[in-house]
Amino acid sequence: MIAAPGTTVEEIWRAVASGACGLRPLSLFTSPRYGQIPVGEIPFDLQALGAPQRGSRSDKLAWLAVRDAVRAAGLDLGRAGDRTGVVLGCSVGGSYDSEKFLVTLLKKGRMRPCATRFHECSAPVDLVANSFGCYGPSFAISTACSSGGLAIATAADLIQSGAADVVITGGTDSLSRTTWAGFHSLLLVDAEGCRPFDVERGGMSFGEGAAALVLESEAHARERGATILARLTGWGASCDAYHATAPHPDGQGAVAAMQAALRRAHLRPHDIHYINAHGTGTRDNDLTEARAMQAVFGTRVPPFSSTKRVFGHALAASGALEAVVCIEALRHQQQPGNPGFRQRDSAIGLSPVERTRAARLTHVMSNSFGFGGNNAAVVFSRADVAPQTRATPVKPAAVISVGALLPEQVVERHTQWPLPTVTVTAHACGPFSDLATLNPIQRRRLNRLSQMAILAARRAGRPDPAQRVAITLGTGFGSLDEGAIFLENLIAKNEAEPMPTRFPGSVHNAPAGQVAIDLAAHGLNSAPTADEISFESALWQAMNQLACNEADEAFAGALDELNKYPLYLGKRWGVWNAESRPGEAAVFARLTPAAETPLARVSTIRLGRFRQPFDAEAEAQWIASSVDLAAVTLLITGAQGWRKFDSRYLDVVAALNRRRAQPLEHQTYKPDCGEFPAASGVGFVRAVTAARERGIRVLLYTLAWRGGKAICLVEP
Amino acid sequence: MAISTTELKQRIIEALNLQDLTAEQIDDEAPLFGTGLGLDSIDALELVVMLEKHYGIVIKDIEEGRPAFRSVRTLADFIEARRPAV
Repeated sequence: MIAAPGTTVEEIWRAVASGACGLRPLSLFTSPRYGQIPVGEIPFDLQALGAPQRGSRSDKLAWLAVRDAVRAAGLDLGRAGDRTGVVLGCSVGGSYDSEKFLVTLLKKGRMRPCATRFHECSAPVDLVANSFGCYGPSFAISTACSSGGLAIATAADLIQSGAADVVITGGTDSLSRTTWAGFHSLLLVDAEGCRPFDVERGGMSFGEGAAALVLESEAHARERGATILARLTGWGASCDAYHATAPHPDGQGAVAAMQAALRRAHLRPHDIHYINAHGTGTRDNDLTEARAMQAVFGTRVPPFSSTKRVFGHALAASGALEAVVCIEALRHQQQPGNPGFRQRDSAIGLSPVERTRAARLTHVMSNSFGFGGNNAAVVFSRADVAPQTRATPVKPAAVISVGALLPEQVVERHTQWPLPTVTVTAHACGPFSDLATLNPIQRRRLNRLSQMAILAARRAGRPDPAQRVAITLGTGFGSLDEGAIFLENLIAKNEAEPMPTRFPGSVHNAPAGQVAIDLAAHGLNSAPTADEISFESALWQAMNQLACNEADEAFAGALDELNKYPLYLGKRWGVWNAESRPGEAAVFARLTPAAETPLARVSTIRLGRFRQPFDAEAEAQWIASSVDLAAVTLLITGAQGWRKFDSRYLDVVAALNRRRAQPLEHQTYKPDCGEFPAASGVGFVRAVTAARERGIRVLLYTLAWRGGKAICLVEP
Repeated sequence: MAISTTELKQRIIEALNLQDLTAEQIDDEAPLFGTGLGLDSIDALELVVMLEKHYGIVIKDIEEGRPAFRSVRTLADFIEARRPAV
């Protein structure tokens, strides 16, 4: 792990145990308006620590944390790599570096497009997986401040389902101008540094960092003789479905997440001996989190504390940093103190552990909450506690409906300020005939991307209010428009007149959170991101929630929008040509465990990564080992429009056909919808339609530019 | 000089993207939040930005602005009292 107080678990635990404040003046970038406010900035030279040259600051932090975790675990990825996945929480992604592109452009009139190359929140996952040789399921979870906790929960799901033996998990986020000014614009930052649970608390403090955990199945750890530090025994996720930024006043979602984690761990509330609270130090979070803890634990709330003043709030990394704090607390048998707390708030009615103290700890809990009312809770238990989890493979699911906003027109888009004007031919959605069905607040407040998501979900149909509904929405770029408008304004006006409405709309999970509000969906609310397999990652999570009986119904979606930056940069880099045009879409598939007359069934979903150099024969083998190839009629694949990449698909098709008497019928959806990361969602719609109308089995096969791959078998 | 409530309403409409409304439709005394115009905490933050941009009033704690955001009238009075001398 790496964070403001240190670069090793030992250093950081010492800082946590001594209650040291890790906050200091900001030096990473200049902030005319807020520069005096203390921050948990990492003061170390990342290159000197061994970080790779290429990649964003978030990528490098993740790489360092993973290197140390893999080393400490004694994990030989040369042997275990095929069955090792990577799931990291990441919310800021490469923003800090892509902001430099805009600063240079707006302040100096110069163009440095390379800075944007690692913008995506999935970039740290790809860097880590490619660098260390992990070929199992890999994607990022981007649900703002709950990302780290939700990533760990998802990693546990992957292992419990049997999709991987080992998952490298955790979270990473660097400081960035966007998040820095964004939280300031929401008046959520305490100028004196955060004071969680204190009566005088005035908001959060910022931080950055990364933490990685090697999560392993019981059998795999035993077989290789690994030293087990702790067990992840419980995990739970929920959504308030209440507001974009404010938590539910009674902490309903937080209660549900904690209860789900206890249920999974087969524990009762009094079994928990310590809670590492989300405890950001904002008025609302600390008050509602305390109410939620009281709702779950009654009058016997376990000793709890927030360690946010040690690290600052490292957003997507915070759940991961705090998971390590929990593991170290178990190992040292100590409850960490809560720096910044001085006086009890009578409205809260609870006081945290003030100073670190010895205690007998068997089970501890960590909470992570985020924008979009997104909640995750995980339970860690001592290494000698007997494991309780049962293998729960992902089961086939019924597709009961599909709602989609597909690009219906080919348009000429002209890029605008601050970019030079170029014209790009693109596949565009809209106008939307049902836009008027949105309520006035949705029309007034929400950006187009969230509106697209809501309309697609509504077209799929409203769930029964009595059902437990999960929403998983895969997106490659998230709300690029919203983020760009916020940042252009920020830089052009030197942080004057920030845009508080734009900022919460710019997180990847904002559309998923808005869909949850619209559908009153309180189950898992996830925004996975993984380049071209973002949709399949969402589909996997949705089917897993059904298989684990954590949801009665799941909406699995795909979402990306046209934005001037990819249009311009793609043109400059020669990505767009007659065969490859940018596009956009919003898709939701409604899934249930079973249905009497489904549109189709998804019988197999599998994620992984391909090796370099690309080996079509090995890919065909991977596919043939997952599905009955003889029963498949139609193969639907992606296509990039560039020979170098598309030849991979064609080679795999050829390799598959060598295993069959009849060649597969091969189609691609890209000419209809254009190029965007979540486009395989459109391929899925086509697969469902073909399975239903023609009564055939359809295989959807997707390769991601940076190494991910996925297959999904759709049956009538 | 007293604040023009019509001008203030225009600025609220602009800041909060209330395109469906005109200044005449907003009552000086009607509550802005909750039942009135149905605004919420993020709209309050937009009003904070608007106050700084147009009237030079800096609010660092939302609690400070809360009583002022009750209605157009209370907001006008607040601006009157807090506006930096020109």
